[in-house]
Amino acid sequence: MQHPIRRLRSLLDARVQAWIKRRQGIDPDPLLLHRRRIYILPTRLGFAYAAMLFGMVLGGMNYNNNLGLGLAFLLVSLGLVTMHHCHGTLSGLGLRLLATESAFVGEPVQFRLLLENRAQVPRPRIELSADDVVQEVVDVPRDGSAPARLQVVAPRRGRIPLPRLVVATRHPLGLFRAWAVVHPEYSAIAWPRPAPRGLPPHGVETDTGGAQDRAQGDEDFAGLKPYQPGDSLRRIAWKAYARGQGLHTKQYAGTDVVSHVFDWDALPGLDTEPRLAQLCRWVLDAHEHGEAFGLRLPGIVIEPNIGTAHRQRCLTALALFEPGRTHDSAH
Amino acid sequence: MTRRTDDPMRGFGGALAALGLATAAHVTSLPAWVILLLIAIGAWRWLANRRGWPLPPQWLRATIAVIAALVVLGTYRTLNGIEAGTAFLALMAGVKLLETRSARDLTVIVFIAYFLLFAAMLRDQRLTQVPYLLAGAAFATAALMRVHAGSAGDSWREVLLRSAVLLLQALPLAVALFVLFPRLPGPFWGIAGKESARTGLSDEMTPGDVSDLTASGDVAFRVRFSGRAPPPALRYWRGPVLHEFDGRSWRRTRGQAFPLQEVEYSGAPIDYQITLEPHDRTWILALDLPVEWPEREAYRGFDFQLLSPRPITEVASYSLRSYPTYRAGAVLPKSIRNKDLQLPDARNPRAVALGRALAAQHREPQAIVRAMLTMFREQPFAYTMQPPKLADNAMDEFLFQTRKGFCEHYASAFTLVMRAAGIPARVVTGYQGGEMNPIGGYLLVRQSDAHAWSEVWIDDRGWVRVDPTAAVAPERIERGLIGALDADEPVPGRLRQQSALWLRAELTWDAMNDFWNERIVRFNAARQFDLLERLGFKEPDWRTLGLGLAASLAVFFLALSAYLGWKFREPARDWPARLHAEASRKLKRRGVIPGPSEGPVAYLDRAAASCPDLARDLAEIRAVYVALRYGPQPTEADLRRLKHLVNRLRT
Repeated sequence: MQHPIRRLRSLLDARVQAWIKRRQGIDPDPLLLHRRRIYILPTRLGFAYAAMLFGMVLGGMNYNNNLGLGLAFLLVSLGLVTMHHCHGTLSGLGLRLLATESAFVGEPVQFRLLLENRAQVPRPRIELSADDVVQEVVDVPRDGSAPARLQVVAPRRGRIPLPRLVVATRHPLGLFRAWAVVHPEYSAIAWPRPAPRGLPPHGVETDTGGAQDRAQGDEDFAGLKPYQPGDSLRRIAWKAYARGQGLHTKQYAGTDVVSHVFDWDALPGLDTEPRLAQLCRWVLDAHEHGEAFGLRLPGIVIEPNIGTAHRQRCLTALALFEPGRTHDSAH
Repeated sequence: MTRRTDDPMRGFGGALAALGLATAAHVTSLPAWVILLLIAIGAWRWLANRRGWPLPPQWLRATIAVIAALVVLGTYRTLNGIEAGTAFLALMAGVKLLETRSARDLTVIVFIAYFLLFAAMLRDQRLTQVPYLLAGAAFATAALMRVHAGSAGDSWREVLLRSAVLLLQALPLAVALFVLFPRLPGPFWGIAGKESARTGLSDEMTPGDVSDLTASGDVAFRVRFSGRAPPPALRYWRGPVLHEFDGRSWRRTRGQAFPLQEVEYSGAPIDYQITLEPHDRTWILALDLPVEWPEREAYRGFDFQLLSPRPITEVASYSLRSYPTYRAGAVLPKSIRNKDLQLPDARNPRAVALGRALAAQHREPQAIVRAMLTMFREQPFAYTMQPPKLADNAMDEFLFQTRKGFCEHYASAFTLVMRAAGIPARVVTGYQGGEMNPIGGYLLVRQSDAHAWSEVWIDDRGWVRVDPTAAVAPERIERGLIGALDADEPVPGRLRQQSALWLRAELTWDAMNDFWNERIVRFNAARQFDLLERLGFKEPDWRTLGLGLAASLAVFFLALSAYLGWKFREPARDWPARLHAEASRKLKRRGVIPGPSEGPVAYLDRAAASCPDLARDLAEIRAVYVALRYGPQPTEADLRRLKHLVNRLRT
């Protein structure tokens, strides 16, 4: 049971957040923080500072001491000056999504952002927090940019949106905290968590006749193609290289290449998620062993292939698979 | 996680420096052990931070804190008041240093530094404190900045500079607050009495005291005369009047009430305003003899000394009127006569015998006075700041053996002999003379002008001032101390007398101090309203203050926002780009919206295609734009042409 005051606070907080979201709507990318969307309040340190100054003013009045009062007023004014500086540090800051990095459920997906500052003064100590946890403190140089990285542990597969992003700063004295709430449409993809190893893959098919042009095996030499970074070193045509023809990769047409097609229907009796987990496991294992594989989900067919991009494609298909919709399309 | 880990002790050096600077302001008033303890703790903590030594355990810190509090309590008998509070605060800062491990702890240290600085201002608000205040505030602010919001690469110099800039930006509003913030008449709570050893007169005089005092060139008070200043021979500033004599020292009377004597005066009055430097005592120096004074702030004692109801702990100013020609007292009440004839038993027998002999020789009191002054003048008495030390029968030794003395010796011996001769007499201490400051237009009186003289009762003349020093060294009265002493005696300000430049520099500095005291230190509610009236507000009241405050806040905020907006501005885009943007703004009305990756030239082409009526203009805009942007030599004329074309564009 939560403490009533804390419950009230969180209720109030939720209301405020909803109001902010209604007011601002979904933010575009890239985003420039306008001064009207920046909120600012004193920090606890700021309140302590105010209390100290109150004591000083009272003491100065009590002793009728003008120099003491002068110091107190100077510090009062200093506090107000830093309020403006704090606000200015955030106002006009640019925010841009560079990339997202996918991950398996239970692991953090990453959002790589770029903080951009077109002003001729630096913007130090920009705090980025997702879900009220400060993840990065970044100094953005003048007329420059600084990368930042936010991560969210994926609770489920599919699109994981970046939760409420708060960009804040306490610059320069920590007496005030200026912040802006950003509701970006950033989302990263979380793949299903692979099932434990054990179940051997079903549906091993031997692909004959090179039906898939781009599926390459090891058996029949089919010619040379120019080397591309990423090609296996074992397949480089060293002889051709020695003849001064440049780097080439040997191409083979697979006649008895092992090629899997992992089929949704080959796993009857399992619920959706365990099925996806098992398919994910097979995809990973096949990729690890350098075997070609394809994927067959209700409504989705991915032809056998190899390579990192293919693996990504398959994993993404698993991540975004929605059984309800495919049922509809099947009917 | 990619969260950058910051050193929690970042800014430790800064906090330590700020604390050190703030504590240094109290070096003269804090007990030595507090200072030494703080230095030891600071040095140890600094080393511990560098070498990674462990901090002392909780119980040890608590013990140190409790012991320190008890010792302060034992020393001052209170924790209230500036001195005790300062010592306590400084010690707590030391204890806090012992447990400093986080940014939060460092913040507490910085706050203590701010407060110590504030206490230093409470203790002493002379002009010389101002640079200290500013430097201390800049250091503490820099420390706070380093703890809280700097970037890792910031150098100390840079942080200090930035905090100085922040303070500079804060200055205008601080001045407005100072002038406009409503001043409530304090005190709200009791102010503990200060026990300090400020130089100045005391309520006791032992031969040797005044000559010690005159070694100080400090300012005692400043006087502004409404008319002409009186001549040096009339500048007797009356301070404590001493009645009790124990054979060696003179003291004020205590715990005894005497009837007040009437004063008759004649001739021209002297009106003046006297501004006293704080001396922590109740007396107000006044020109002989004060007859008018502010009723609530002062009263005149039975011996014509002006007194304040409260010790003067801050610079204080009084408007007074004195008459140099007066008759003080018509008849002498018995209690006063007895008091001022009192002689200690069995001390200074020869001096007493001298007095009795004089009384037997002359009938008139005036004749006795003259005879004694003649003795000082004609016998080999010498006036010196370095008189020989005197023992128990001090006045006998002085009158008949050493014969070297300062004003207090002469006043003391003279008064004693008069009493022995049956003439009521007392010692008056105060200041004599002063130096006109032509820059500030006031008379400057220093501690080195301290003086002692005598006052005797003569039946048909009342209390008459007799200055025996004038008999020995008339130059003292006319030309001041330096003129009266031999050239080899150490007197403050001898350099001043010898160098015109130095004199001018010193007088200028003093005039600045005077301005500071008058305008800043003594600023209060009344002067606040005076100032507002002079600024053109008719009959200012609290609402005027409130409005003024609100207006200055608004102006300040707007100005600061504008300044920061300018500071954080984006670099101005080049003119061709701006004009292109203006053109596309106009073309949007015709539904030609620039695509996200569409170049400026491609956009103009597309616009020309979709708006045939504008095609000619757009073609020219395109041509000039291309010439400006990509041409070998863009000219001003091209830019003007582009401006003209874009402005002419009608959509």
